Amino acid sequence: MRIVVCVKQVPDTTDVRVDPEKGTLIREGVPSMINPFDQFALEEGLRVRDRTGGELIVLSMGPPQAKSVIMLSLAIGADRGILLTDRAFAGADTLATAYTLSKAIEKVGDVDLVVCGLQAIDGDTAQVGPGIATRLRMPQVTYAERIEVVDGTLRARRVVEDGNETVEARLPALATMTTPSDFVPTNPPFTRIMKAKGKPYEEWKVADLDADPGRLGLDGSPTWVEKVYPPPKREKGEMLEGAPDEIVGRLVEILKQERVL
Amino acid sequence: MEDWFFTEEQRMFRESLREYLQNHITPEKVVEMEEKREIPRSIHDAMADFELFCPLVSEEYGGAGFDLVTAGIVGEELARVDPTGSTCVYYLVPASWSRMIYLYGTEEAKQELLPKMTKGRMFCGIASTEADTGSDLGNMITTIKPIRNGYVVNGAKNYISGIREARNTDGGHVTLARQDLAAGVRGCTLFFLPLNSKGIEISLDREMGREGMSTGGFHIDNVEIPERYLIGEEKRGFYIIHEGYEAARGIIACVCAGAALKALENAVAYMKERKAFGQPLARYQGMQFPLAEHWSRMMMLRDWAYKALRIMDQEKQGKASRMESSQAIAMAKLWGPLWAFDAINFAMQVQGAYGYSLECTEQKALRAIRSFGWAEGTSEVMRLIIAREVLGGTSWKGY
Ligand SMILES: Cc1cc2nc3c(=O)[nH]c(=O)nc-3n(C[C@H](O)[C@H](O)[C@H](O)COP(=O)(O)OP(=O)(O)OC[C@H]3O[C@@H](n4cnc5c(N)ncnc54)[C@H](O)[C@@H]3O)c2cc1C
Repeated sequence: MRIVVCVKQVPDTTDVRVDPEKGTLIREGVPSMINPFDQFALEEGLRVRDRTGGELIVLSMGPPQAKSVIMLSLAIGADRGILLTDRAFAGADTLATAYTLSKAIEKVGDVDLVVCGLQAIDGDTAQVGPGIATRLRMPQVTYAERIEVVDGTLRARRVVEDGNETVEARLPALATMTTPSDFVPTNPPFTRIMKAKGKPYEEWKVADLDADPGRLGLDGSPTWVEKVYPPPKREKGEMLEGAPDEIVGRLVEILKQERVL
Repeated sequence: MEDWFFTEEQRMFRESLREYLQNHITPEKVVEMEEKREIPRSIHDAMADFELFCPLVSEEYGGAGFDLVTAGIVGEELARVDPTGSTCVYYLVPASWSRMIYLYGTEEAKQELLPKMTKGRMFCGIASTEADTGSDLGNMITTIKPIRNGYVVNGAKNYISGIREARNTDGGHVTLARQDLAAGVRGCTLFFLPLNSKGIEISLDREMGREGMSTGGFHIDNVEIPERYLIGEEKRGFYIIHEGYEAARGIIACVCAGAALKALENAVAYMKERKAFGQPLARYQGMQFPLAEHWSRMMMLRDWAYKALRIMDQEKQGKASRMESSQAIAMAKLWGPLWAFDAINFAMQVQGAYGYSLECTEQKALRAIRSFGWAEGTSEVMRLIIAREVLGGTSWKGY
């Protein structure tokens, strides 16, 4: 089995601030982290690898600093890391990103399973995984929360609106993972972090891929961001404190005042 | 800001550790620890799983092969989640003293003891203090005498951390005793003393903090230990014991930084929320100024603590002298407990009457940090070391 897991470095913040003049996200001083969906994808991928044997390759596209999410993935258990980093990859929208990653996966070769996070928490598009599957002509299973490989078949439990469904797909296939609420991410201890340093790690540039330069980075991205703005701040709600009986009484009064009741 | 001190691996380790500790040493667990007056099994296991026992020992003997700077990171992070300081002591005492077995113990003892210690299955403490003497090591009454195939030890030790922990795990203490009685401190020998040996009788004390850890003493009545438990050479104990103290002192300084900065963070949250005379406390300069002072002291202390530990790491690579290490570490251990005590006291003050309630984490931290004014060497002894080096000219020369 050869598994590729795609991971992205994202800003570690729930309080995203926008530069009011440029309309872009303020990234300075914001620490970065592995996209949480991707960490779950990685750990599911590792579970599969541990059962089937074989190797798990972690793949990311990003600036040179994105090496740290690869190192984290290697510390958690991935066997090999590849970072696509080149100015020519920069500014990619989901179309160009999916194209670039699919070209890298082609270059890795003989990949049986691709696992992605459902979406990146900075863009929330959920388009890249399906985009890769389309370009690699692989069947895809989205919104999976558990995957297994049995006899050359991917079996995935998907989260659907009113429950779960289990579907199967012939390998090679791609799955995108959504994080179950009870997932506790692995925190690697020191020796595993040090061992990660000794694992194979490569950085690939445009020249390393058999790709059409016009479909990469900004040139390959038809998406236009017209404007980015933070949603208007909501007024802080009124907090009622005191004994339950008292609060209920006050609440009813307020609701009457507001003509809700 | 780009970090200029820690390696990429240390940075990653701290991040991983912080998240891990938040999940495993929760405020509820800390309360459980205080009530039961012992470290809950679940915390012990979590520490073992994360390689936090005796990690200065190399992987060959089951350790994690930390350098001292990395060991300091663990101290700081434990102090952030455990205001009682119990887990900090449970971590730093075995870490610092098993390292002495690792550095100076016999191969047989290393193979026998270290794999257990590094897995958290055997406690390793330090026993130098006695009822009538602490700082003045040369006046101790405990003696060690060579006999056929080993030694016989007599005397008593007091104010020793980890008595119950050693008893429960068939562990013991790196112990100092007099061998050449005429030579004072220069005739002392260092060795490992299993606390379950025949002839040892223990007693436990109750202390003002660090509820999860036991402290006490023991009588040593004709206790025989094998030759392999010798640490370093006979009568050379005093010359090496400082490396144990100093590892512990450096980590303690990081613990002080972690505890105080965490207390100040809590104070900041409180100052923003709490109103008096129509404004949040944070708006009063009378609150801002002491906050600024304590914050800057603790940030500087934190940097210095890691620097001192790095100097000790460099000493092991032949790039710094013993005396440079001693002095740098003493500076961190002098100010760490004093400044942290003041900072935490301020954090209590900010919180009004709540600051004095048993529930308030800051008063727990205050009681814990106070112990470091004595443990592993008093503040006065730190001043003696610094003065000795400054006056002796072995001090920093401006490079
Ligand atoms: C919580 C706790 C845990 C401890 N755990 C351990 C342990 O695990 N193992 C262990 O061996 N010990 C332990 N100790 C003991 C600690 O190491 C001693 O308290 C310390 O070394 C001082 O010894 P002492 O208490 O006998 O004080 P003394 O040495 O008698 O000193 C009394 C006072 O006089 C000061 N003083 C002494 N000499 C001078 C001088 N020349 N000039 C100026 N002032 C001086 C001291 O600084 C101190 O303030 C622990 C202590 C505490 C509080």
